[in-house]
Amino acid sequence: MSTRRRRADGGVAYLDVQGTLRERTVDALRDRTLRGNLDTAAASWGEGREGMRRDHGLDEMRERAREIRQSNIRNLPALLAEMQANVRDAGGTVVRAADGAEACRYITGLAKARGVKVVAKSKSMATEEIKLNEALDDAGIEVVETDLGEWILQLANEHPSHIIAPAVHLNREQVAALFREEAGTDDVPDDREGLVAHARVRLREKFAAAGIGVSGVNLGVASTGTICVVENEGNARLVTSQPRIHVAVMGMERVVADWDEAAHILQVLPMAAIGQDAANYVNLITGPRREGEADGPEEFHLVIIDGGRGALRGTEFEEALACIRCGACLYSCPMWRSVGGQAYGSPYSGPIGAVITPLLEGPSSPASRDLPFMSSLCGACGEACPVGIPLQDLLVRARARASSPATRKSGIAFRAWSRLWRRPATYRAWMAGWRLMLRARGRNGWVTELPGPGAGWTEVRDMPARWPPRR
Amino acid sequence: MSTAPDQAGVLDLLLASLARRKATAQVVDRAEAGRATARWMADAGVARAVVASDQVVEEIGLVDALRREGIDVLMWPTGLGSREALGLEGPLDVCGVTVPALAVAERGTLVLEASGGHGRGIDVTSRHHVALLPADRVVRTLSEALALTYADGRTPPSAVSLVSGPSRSSDIEKISTLGAHGALTEHVVVMS
Repeated sequence: MSTRRRRADGGVAYLDVQGTLRERTVDALRDRTLRGNLDTAAASWGEGREGMRRDHGLDEMRERAREIRQSNIRNLPALLAEMQANVRDAGGTVVRAADGAEACRYITGLAKARGVKVVAKSKSMATEEIKLNEALDDAGIEVVETDLGEWILQLANEHPSHIIAPAVHLNREQVAALFREEAGTDDVPDDREGLVAHARVRLREKFAAAGIGVSGVNLGVASTGTICVVENEGNARLVTSQPRIHVAVMGMERVVADWDEAAHILQVLPMAAIGQDAANYVNLITGPRREGEADGPEEFHLVIIDGGRGALRGTEFEEALACIRCGACLYSCPMWRSVGGQAYGSPYSGPIGAVITPLLEGPSSPASRDLPFMSSLCGACGEACPVGIPLQDLLVRARARASSPATRKSGIAFRAWSRLWRRPATYRAWMAGWRLMLRARGRNGWVTELPGPGAGWTEVRDMPARWPPRR
Repeated sequence: MSTAPDQAGVLDLLLASLARRKATAQVVDRAEAGRATARWMADAGVARAVVASDQVVEEIGLVDALRREGIDVLMWPTGLGSREALGLEGPLDVCGVTVPALAVAERGTLVLEASGGHGRGIDVTSRHHVALLPADRVVRTLSEALALTYADGRTPPSAVSLVSGPSRSSDIEKISTLGAHGALTEHVVVMS
């Protein structure tokens, strides 16, 4: 399932995603280890979430969260302008990037200008979306993912499988093998505590060497120009406080108006994401270190990415911008639970990934054609969404948008068929012809092969040659 | 920053929340706080304390109490090189001592504000974290805490860390494991 491979010179080569969505899905369904790991992960999420609904009224908190995010999206230009002004007042630099390439150019340019050799990253889907690691790697700069799950994936040359828990598809033995390879020694424990302790020391070395820390942004608070970085491990705090420069990469839709709104969303997020009423660390950062402070970055850069988001305002997909990237729709989705995130072949997987990937990548990408169909439209995602995005409706709209010339042709055929069947005379003539055809093709009472468009149907099932069938 | 009445109920709620978040806590009289904290740290095997330069630390005579227990004390800013500050050199059992500006009873969350005397990495670079919390700084909800921290007319701190229990990762098999990058233990000394 690897989508990257290691080059002979030790650098990382990024391959385009392998195979078609169908092939990747079939591969994933055959992978029993993956299925077991996904089952464990989804069950533990479901249990935590039940607790949040019972003890903390998560369902009641949803309506307010929805109102906050809808109003944020309506007022987005004004909120971004306020955010930008306040970050600058606090001594930070703000860059608005129209797309991922522009954002990557800025960050690699900054690294080169400051002579930075090592970049330490905390988990960020936005940087995955803009392929920042690839850009830094091409510029000859070492990138280290410091979130434990992301680091494991980096060692395995894989993309994240999940927004929140990127390595949920690997088990303990698989992780231990990767750590042994990275450390170049067999002296790596294989119990969970030992593995975590091992990673802690290896990654502290990277923090000591890093000249730039790159983090994502869960929320930007416009009224004070503060970014919120939510995490459980403590690596994001190290990323945002130890290197000399901190670069925060934020999707443009991740801004709220004030601290009243931020307080609500910051509570909903861990409840929906991990079934806990608080994340272990929330880092609230307003500009670089100030005079008289002994730690914290000397420079703070906030890179705000459009990447196709701005164009969604005012469209039938606008509600997708409310997403707070909690991952609840992934765990709730029977498709995602069966195949995992990697089969989607895009940074964002699950129902929200199936909706936004085609929108962000544009109508000509393969994702636009296939991903909206990675759903049973059961509606579990919409029910799980803590900010009330009607994901099942957006999936239907995404399917309509994905309709290719081929599917439009089938639309014409369906309209013609419907016209024939609406008149009793033509209906009867059709059925008579159909019965004759079935009888002619039948062998031992069954039709096992139909011509033309019927071939796909008989590939997996047979049809009785007479109706009603004879026993 | 002042807090509302009903302080006793809020304090009980905080202690329950801290336990849920796998932090330990003790409530002590202010006069006893220095000695009690130093004893807890000595029992935990702490070799070195990195201590926030805060009035509360002075008031309870923590530095003398720590030295009497044979613990090496470094006041913030420590002036350590980056490798030693990150625990790659020097003693392993370092304890960061912080003084939260506020605590959130409902969630068991400490609100740490960065300043000249209070580094933003004190708790997270160390293996242990001890927080000295005056009881009148406990509020009920996160909304109240953030409203006080970012009140109109107050310059927002350059960094605020909301800390809710020891560092944790569920990245291996979705099972929660403590001490990923930050502190492995968190102990809150509530001073009444």
